[in-house]
Amino acid sequence: MRDLAGRLGYLVLAATAVAYLAVYATGLGRLPTAFDYLSILNTTLPLVFVAIGQSLVVLTGGIDLSVGGTVSLCVAVTAVAVTGFEQLPLVLAIGTACGVVNGLIVAAGRIAPILATLATLPIFTGAALWVLPVPGGSIPPQIRAVLTNPDLPTGLIWLGLAVAGWLVLRRTRFGMRVYAIGSDAGAARAVGVPVERVTFGVYALSGLCCALAAVFYVSTTTAGDANAGAPFILTSIAAVVVGGVAFTGGRGSAVGAVAGAAALALVIDVLFFAGIDPLYQALFQGLFLVVAVMLGSLAMLLRRAT
Amino acid sequence: MRRVLYAFGAAGGVLLLGTILHPGFASWPSLQAMLVVASFTGFVAAGQMLVVLVGGIDLSIPWVLNGAAIMLTTTALGQPGRLPYALLVALAVGAAAGLANGLGVAWLGVPAVVMTLGMNGVLQGLSLGLSKGLTCATCGSYAPEPLRGLFPLGALLVWAGVALLVTVVLTLTTFGRRVYAVGVNPRAAYLAGVGVRGVTVALYTLSGVFAALAGVMLVGYGGQPSLGLGDPYLFESIAAVVVGGVSILGGRGHYAGVVAGALTLVAVTTFLQAQRVPEYGRLMIYGLVILVILLAYGRTRAHD
Repeated sequence: MRDLAGRLGYLVLAATAVAYLAVYATGLGRLPTAFDYLSILNTTLPLVFVAIGQSLVVLTGGIDLSVGGTVSLCVAVTAVAVTGFEQLPLVLAIGTACGVVNGLIVAAGRIAPILATLATLPIFTGAALWVLPVPGGSIPPQIRAVLTNPDLPTGLIWLGLAVAGWLVLRRTRFGMRVYAIGSDAGAARAVGVPVERVTFGVYALSGLCCALAAVFYVSTTTAGDANAGAPFILTSIAAVVVGGVAFTGGRGSAVGAVAGAAALALVIDVLFFAGIDPLYQALFQGLFLVVAVMLGSLAMLLRRAT
Repeated sequence: MRRVLYAFGAAGGVLLLGTILHPGFASWPSLQAMLVVASFTGFVAAGQMLVVLVGGIDLSIPWVLNGAAIMLTTTALGQPGRLPYALLVALAVGAAAGLANGLGVAWLGVPAVVMTLGMNGVLQGLSLGLSKGLTCATCGSYAPEPLRGLFPLGALLVWAGVALLVTVVLTLTTFGRRVYAVGVNPRAAYLAGVGVRGVTVALYTLSGVFAALAGVMLVGYGGQPSLGLGDPYLFESIAAVVVGGVSILGGRGHYAGVVAGALTLVAVTTFLQAQRVPEYGRLMIYGLVILVILLAYGRTRAHD
């Protein structure tokens, strides 16, 4: 029972995976093939990256609504300007720059995170529209072959690297400080944690994660769209929540958020194979979100009672 | 109260700048058109402000609005005689959604972001599913005439009525004092005998009603509902609340400021359209304006 809420993401993911296998098997009379798993993996990767960045921000007690704009801008730049691997650092630099702007406004400007990122969201989205006014663009096949190869599970490598990166990060001084700020910013400040610098870093990392997500997005869809990022605002928050990261900060992990993102992606497939009218999809996703979180808080209550 | 004055200053500043560059920008016909557009933001922002006052947030506004709009036209079927009943049904949908939000937040302890985000999805699914993607037999109905005849002056009177009601309830009633008490410090309010949960549920319910009212007014204005009608109003409602000087942390703010906030946002957009600024520029300048206003009077205190 210890810290069940923190493991919520894995439990929900396990339950969703079982449901997925069940409806797939009863619907098609066989188990999913490697191709099915690979397509789920490749389409989930963008959300996985945004969710990792979002979870870092939420761990400090903040929220990043501008992920929609940052992903859109980086998708636009990727689709327009990337002709080979040598341009990828440019995309990552632009995403990080967006995050740096957020970090400056939140940490130095002392504006509540939800408001700061609400204001930068249209700014980044506008920039994306300026770069790519109509959907289009392309991605070089050699990048696609390395990032989201449709035949080889290259996505697993990147997923593994992302998770490994987080596991290293949380054990660094920076990672400790992220948790310290989220648990109690005042206490963290009192023991000498540079709260402003860490907060700044967290938003910059969220921007970098958005850039990575954008590259994977263009790699999977093979084209860009200046509005591609908008859905990630609410889905990344949902992934973080289902992943058991507490909105008050200081509790949870990015790996939980990765599990949350995977669970959200699987739910769509579960609904599809269960033969649910796609028009009702949002209904079940909404219920899934609320029920998953209610189970989490119920577990907390039980823990407190025993 | 100082922030309310700042909010009106911001609205006045934008209107003044508009008049200098476009003579007639703040003339009555142009102002009236802007006020009508601002009233929709004003309605959703009334609800958003109420939940923000107790430190909450309502992300279910887009599809509460859209669902109520569809409910109104499919119930009224374009017949003036059915309008009162349809109005009741549409507002009841909003109240029910808001009530569910409030119960989830106050009694089940679900974080407001999660509860209202989930509710938004639930209502989106129900709206799309039950109306078969807005292709049902009655989905082509128009809003009945009395409602459409409200525009422009009648609609502004409705907004004025809402503004008066919200202001009176918040400043002159016990309920209003309780709202601010809960917003400033829920624990202290609870110890002082305020029914924190009851107040919270009432505010989320009201937010649902106001979102539904915005949906009703929008179909009255446009004639027919569309899918995604409410989408722009999620972030717009939060922006209007904040530009209006309401503290996002709760406990501070007045609806008068939110009225000015809604007008500021619409005036900025109208001005940029008049300047023929392309869409990307409009979005960027809109964001920058909110940012400047936030830096001017939306900052939290320094931690020294």
